[in-house]
Amino acid sequence: MKFQIPIGPQHPALKEPISLRMTVEGEVIRDADLRLGYNHRGIEKLAEERTYLQNIYLTERICGICSHSHTTCFVQGVEALLEVVAPRRGQFLRYLVAELERVHSHLLWLGVAGHEAGFDSFFMYTWRDREVVMDILEMISGNRVHYAINTLGGVRRDIDEALRTKILDSLGILRARTDYYFKLGANEPSFVGRLAGVGRLSKEDALALCAVGPTARASGVAHDVRRDDPYGIYGEIPFEVCTADSCDVLGRTVVRIKELGQSYNIIEYLLRNLPDGPVAVKAPRRAKPGEVVSRDEAPRGENIHYIKANGSDKPERLKVRAPTLANYAATLARLKNGFIADIPLIFAAIDPCICCAERTVELIDGRSGRPTVVRWSDLRRRAARRAGRVSKKRNVECPL
Amino acid sequence: MSALKTLLYVFVYPGLVFMFVYSTFCEWFDRKVYARLQNRMGPTHTGRWGLLQPVADFFKLMAKEDIVPEKADKTMFTLLPIFGLAVVATAMLLLPVWHFNPAAGGFNSFSGDIIVLLYLLSLPTIIFFLAAWSSTNVFSTVGGTRVLTMFFGYEVPLFLAVLSPALLAGSWRLAEIARFFQAKPVLLLVNLPGFIVAVICVQAKLERTPFDIPHAETEIVGGTFTEFSGKKLAFFRLMTDVEMVVSSGLLATVFLGGFPGGLVLGFLQFIVKTLFVIFLLSLLRAATSRIRVDQVVSFAWGYLAPLAVVQLFFVILLKGFVL
Amino acid sequence: MRIAGFVPELLRHLFKKPATVDYPFRKLEVPKDFRGTPFLHPETCIVCRACERDCPAEAIEIVEVNAAEKRFKMTIHNDRCVHCAQCVDSCPTDAMEMDDKFEISAFSRWDLKEEWEYVRAVVKPKPAAPAPQAAPAAPVSPSPVKPSESET
Repeated sequence: MKFQIPIGPQHPALKEPISLRMTVEGEVIRDADLRLGYNHRGIEKLAEERTYLQNIYLTERICGICSHSHTTCFVQGVEALLEVVAPRRGQFLRYLVAELERVHSHLLWLGVAGHEAGFDSFFMYTWRDREVVMDILEMISGNRVHYAINTLGGVRRDIDEALRTKILDSLGILRARTDYYFKLGANEPSFVGRLAGVGRLSKEDALALCAVGPTARASGVAHDVRRDDPYGIYGEIPFEVCTADSCDVLGRTVVRIKELGQSYNIIEYLLRNLPDGPVAVKAPRRAKPGEVVSRDEAPRGENIHYIKANGSDKPERLKVRAPTLANYAATLARLKNGFIADIPLIFAAIDPCICCAERTVELIDGRSGRPTVVRWSDLRRRAARRAGRVSKKRNVECPL
Repeated sequence: MSALKTLLYVFVYPGLVFMFVYSTFCEWFDRKVYARLQNRMGPTHTGRWGLLQPVADFFKLMAKEDIVPEKADKTMFTLLPIFGLAVVATAMLLLPVWHFNPAAGGFNSFSGDIIVLLYLLSLPTIIFFLAAWSSTNVFSTVGGTRVLTMFFGYEVPLFLAVLSPALLAGSWRLAEIARFFQAKPVLLLVNLPGFIVAVICVQAKLERTPFDIPHAETEIVGGTFTEFSGKKLAFFRLMTDVEMVVSSGLLATVFLGGFPGGLVLGFLQFIVKTLFVIFLLSLLRAATSRIRVDQVVSFAWGYLAPLAVVQLFFVILLKGFVL
Repeated sequence: MRIAGFVPELLRHLFKKPATVDYPFRKLEVPKDFRGTPFLHPETCIVCRACERDCPAEAIEIVEVNAAEKRFKMTIHNDRCVHCAQCVDSCPTDAMEMDDKFEISAFSRWDLKEEWEYVRAVVKPKPAAPAPQAAPAAPVSPSPVKPSESET
């Protein structure tokens, strides 16, 4: 017997609205469909009406977890347009926060993976230890989630010697705990039984479906923007790109835990070699006409911002390609012929940030293939028509 | 006078009031231990140390709106929670704590009561399945099939594990089994593998992690209980709590030597031993992750059932050659 | 594979103090540079409108009350504020500051509005920043970054 199970737009496994429609046969998924657009906020359009400086805080709010990645990507692009270069100390601090953010994001993901697999103790312990890095971030920037540390031409706050020592001390705790979670995650039979062999994505598929970030690296694709196209000061920092060959959810977990170790090394390197000097330079408000593509390696994968300047103090166009969007195709392919029980794990394995990936929707006519523009008034009329139709029928069965 | 006594038995002790108080206390204990194992606080503010939290939850749910889905089988949907609570309450009467005259039998202690108790503990599973099926929600339906699939996995090992001490004691009466082991406490060690198997099976019966598959919230929302709300959900939750007390009481009787020592001491033993079993259940819940339903069946038949059979053979050999 | 590998860690924490804080009854300290709610020192505000212009959430509004007396009214709409502290960075005279309040919920968004009515201060701006009086009209305006600020 085949029937359809709606996962979302409201579902306990999803923290943000997205709709996955699963056609299942017993416990086995036969078909998967994905619907986006529940969380479209019009950020790209809004960015066109804000100055570059204001847009830093706007891009920060694209995502709540990798907020710094988006601002870094945006600021890098705008700095190229404005022709300013951040001073070295500023750059060190910027990428220090970026790596701390990667640590917090990966620890968060570990907890989420534990929760999706029903391993709530793991979730509680990883999130408890994540507070260490959250506290560091709060001390550096003054806030836990939206650090707002980037500005045009550098960073906004400096760290003092006491904080530097404190971060270096905290790294010891984090290293020990991460090693413990690595041992635990790889040894707890019920947890490994849930992760191993689930959601296989071969190397060829990962390349063909354009997977990015830890998802691709777990399939053996050693792709990391920090190494392949070094931005900022990453060219001089020694680190390894972590990969795994098991191609499953366990591999993605292993890659993330290994990356945590690499991030600790990078943080230590940055703090030990922190140069003196100013943290920011003055940046002009207007950019010369031009365009720029900026990339950075967010915790979830490659993040791309495209900025077009027209000579004013506002961008003419901002386009954001968040890493989650690149991973959707690979996820859908992996859901087929899996179990219902694996849906949250496979979906969570890409560390989805749904509102990151909600961009402009273009409606394309199925017959002619031409894009159509839907006006606000059209949408309202449609909604009114639909509401009117529904209210007349009683006991209406809502199609899934 | 005897009518008053019977009424007292049914409503106060060991009847409904005691059942309600002790099962909510056990839920509090489970939640508190689970939270402390995870370095959290657990219930804190309702009553002293949050002791009244499960009671508050119960009454809050009782006051909530009770929604019956239009397509559901209304009779079944309404009756099943009450029926389930009645079943586990009956099962609770069979525990050999409140036999004030152990030598004489009675309605709550007779030869074969271990079988009746096991049967009454199987009924909640069927009730969960029927409740899920009659609520006609896709998530409930998946949850209901998972309940039954799991049932085929853990039920046989549980029976085998619980029956081996009975075989050793040569009796089908809980009070006599307990008395046999009180006389020869060394023989309790023989049943250790059976105890492990039984604890794991009881965990599966109570649908707690790693076996909370029928209502795995990240997969199928509320699973079995998706459509239940208000009073019905409160009854189901109370039913699960009582089931936990009954099954831990059963394990304490057959594997931990029962509750000797008369009214007061026996009652204290009952509290301590059931809380010990519940602590083991909480520890198991905290230390594992949820497994898949196919893994439950293969685990139950691959490890639990063989272990229970080995235990049974060992008991038979022991009884035949040594005792 | 290790069966029950997590149990020692769990039991170790059984009698330890919980890591969580009993929040509404006990509160954690916020760090010293916490970005709470912005407020104004009216005695130093020279009405350069740098904060109003740079605020990404358009939460700051300055209106002229009386042109002759040079009286101005500044409104901070805390319902819109995103607590980025850009106004603090943009202010050439350190008239804006952040406090460390974070429990600022209210029943109505209008309760979150804060107003100051004051006479424009005549304070010499710092030499680093250009003349702020001309700010609204000037094409090149004060720097959003103040290196002196970020060193503290």
